[in-house]
Amino acid sequence: MENTVLRFTGAILLSLLIALALTILPLSEDWKLWRPEWIAMTLIHWALLLPKKMSLLLAWFMGLLVDALYGSILGQHAFGYTLIVFMALRLRPRLLVDSFLHQIFLLTLTLGTYLLINLWILGVSGNTPEPWVYWTPVISSVIVWPLYHYLLYRLFTEQKTFDY
Amino acid sequence: MQQKNLIKFTVLALLSGALMVTDYRGSALMPVRTALKMVLYPVQYVVDVPYRAARFTREFFSEHEKISAENRELRTLINVYAARDQKYYSIAEENQRLRTQLNAVPAVREKFTLAEILSVSSDPFRQNVVINKGSKQGLFVGQVALSGKNIYGQIDSVTPSSAVVMRLTDVKHAIPVRNTRTGLGALAVGTGKINLLELKNIEANMDVQKGDVFVSSGLGQLFPADFPVAVVRTVAYNPGDSFMKVKAQTLTDFTKTREILLIWRSDYATRAAENTGGDKESPGNSKATVAGLSTNKNVKSQKNRIGKNQPINKQKQLQGQ
Repeated sequence: MENTVLRFTGAILLSLLIALALTILPLSEDWKLWRPEWIAMTLIHWALLLPKKMSLLLAWFMGLLVDALYGSILGQHAFGYTLIVFMALRLRPRLLVDSFLHQIFLLTLTLGTYLLINLWILGVSGNTPEPWVYWTPVISSVIVWPLYHYLLYRLFTEQKTFDY
Repeated sequence: MQQKNLIKFTVLALLSGALMVTDYRGSALMPVRTALKMVLYPVQYVVDVPYRAARFTREFFSEHEKISAENRELRTLINVYAARDQKYYSIAEENQRLRTQLNAVPAVREKFTLAEILSVSSDPFRQNVVINKGSKQGLFVGQVALSGKNIYGQIDSVTPSSAVVMRLTDVKHAIPVRNTRTGLGALAVGTGKINLLELKNIEANMDVQKGDVFVSSGLGQLFPADFPVAVVRTVAYNPGDSFMKVKAQTLTDFTKTREILLIWRSDYATRAAENTGGDKESPGNSKATVAGLSTNKNVKSQKNRIGKNQPINKQKQLQGQ
């Protein structure tokens, strides 16, 4: 993966925009709970693939946008996404980046932490969601991760064919 | 690299914390939120385009006959409603006249506009929708939204061209209601679940039955009185509790509504004028100004309505002659 490069400039931004659109996409009430954490997954994907291109500031700004979208307290998702990227960047050297098992371990860990902190913040600010269904995004994210990861990899990056 | 990230992370975490505290404590960050929503609006709009296109094509290709039949039906309906409307306005005018003679506070009069729900879901644990009208069309925070004749919710926040409507079923929403059968007052609080409300503050010995219809009571002065809200589905009482656990189903089906009506009550305008005008008078005096202003406003809106209904009005008069 060391010689993976972006296919075009702004690929990361475009992928995040698509993730945002997927987050906004209307779903029926029953499916809404199962919506994967698209933006978090995209951030983790780029943190794993191109750690040098991934900035905490970008994650923080995406979080602010999601806060405005959800109407949650400003800073809640911003903090969550920053934490996800930070954890992913920190854990990356300790993992085999190509191994799906390791990727899914990282995904569960970061998403779990993120959702736990969200739960705390929600609890402090006075609206507690239903206990069990709250965690469904972790499961759905893990399910769609392999395909999503592969698609992002194929669509937005290419292999460097020779060294400059 | 690692060190730099750690510093960055700490700074951003502290910044988020500061934001959260400020946002939780007041509305100082409203401009930031509005700016972010304006960034989001194009994305929301683009996501909605396929749905809009699907609806458009469906409507475009539905049979001509069906549409013309529907058109005929609607035309007759318009006539019926126009006549009814005319009757209503003459009664309203009479009422207004009688009220001025009695020196009573004028009745509340409403103006409506229709807004479309951008089919956008947000947080699964909140019950909010985004609509395609905003402060440019005169919408404001706290405005009442209806779906047909039932109450839908109220506006939570506005940007120039969109607004967020909080549904009745949102966990943060509450509306004062009244039982149509017994007149018993209660508070209908959202549960965060679709089409389900919980009626609070109903004591154990009160008379509430399954199938009772609750309407808005007009207390709290936000919602107009006597609009249907919910019908009681289950009544449960745990011995030892001081209140009953009453669940009610909303009369608005939130899963099917695509368009909502926003209403302007004449006293809203006066309230806004009061706020911006900053007339700091004694409570008694300010009440008098409210009454005076709202009569003016009423007369104005009445004129507008009559102006729009001119043809029908004339027709009516001709018929009368």
